[in-house]
Amino acid sequence: MSAGAPPEELDGLLLCYCTGLTIGELRLACERGHWPTAGKEHSGKLCTGCLGDLLHCLRRFGAPDKAPIGDAATDA
Amino acid sequence: MSSSLSALLSVTYYEPGDDHLIELVHQRDTAGRRRLASLAVEIYAPDGEPLGTVDIDARQETLDLGELARGYLGRRSRVMIAFDARYDERIFPYRPHHYGYLHRRGSAGPPLYYAVNATLGGVPDRIGATGINNFETYLFRTDAGGGEHSLILGNVSRFSPTTAQVFTYYGEARLAQDVTLAPKAHTEVALAPERSGHRLARVEVKALFRLATYVVGRHPEGRELVLFDHLFTYFK
Repeated sequence: MSAGAPPEELDGLLLCYCTGLTIGELRLACERGHWPTAGKEHSGKLCTGCLGDLLHCLRRFGAPDKAPIGDAATDA
Repeated sequence: MSSSLSALLSVTYYEPGDDHLIELVHQRDTAGRRRLASLAVEIYAPDGEPLGTVDIDARQETLDLGELARGYLGRRSRVMIAFDARYDERIFPYRPHHYGYLHRRGSAGPPLYYAVNATLGGVPDRIGATGINNFETYLFRTDAGGGEHSLILGNVSRFSPTTAQVFTYYGEARLAQDVTLAPKAHTEVALAPERSGHRLARVEVKALFRLATYVVGRHPEGRELVLFDHLFTYFK
């Protein structure tokens, strides 16, 4: 977890409106090294509107640099 | 709001002096009226400052943005209005749509009807669509009369600023400009009507992620909107 990470009070908010991923689910998945979790693999890649926030959260939640969403970011 | 519901965040912009109505659910069927599970409306200033959040009775069919925004406008010339909806996919197998009616109060000009920009959740996972929709384009009519064209761009992110590239095409010439937006910020980018004798033919927007974008036309005498429309997904 790094500085600037969204506070836990925001955990219930939707991050990806297409897959239903919440900030809390992403935080937990990153803490456990389980990102992407089953059913959330397409987060950030469908409507793409959440991609900036998803990358922001992945970095601050300590996801590895090669987290799967990196492919979508490169494509964009 | 239940996480088992599907989500959709749609965005439009309100300017003072307009009659601006939003039909919350466009779909109808003979079996009965379809309704959203819930709807919250968020209002943002051009710099991204949150001005207010209003919970809307989802049984309501039409929303008057003038009435809704009245207490939040201040001296601002535009606010961004986000419709944060939850819906049951058994009721809306695809997704609900919001449609807008827009007319300058007291104008003799015709009203505009448009589909509200479905910015987040516009391509639900269950549909399996994977087309890139963060590159968008709009072709202008070659016989279009006078008036001023522009883009209104908004960033619906909570945390992430972004820089979009706006490209305009005049004959063989292409002009580029960058537009940087803080989270929830929005701006209007003027598009020159012609360059070196060539009329504005096309505009493109490219960004890392989808923005809440509309192409806008204004009457040459005054600021009345004569065009307020989506761009189209750009494939090359």
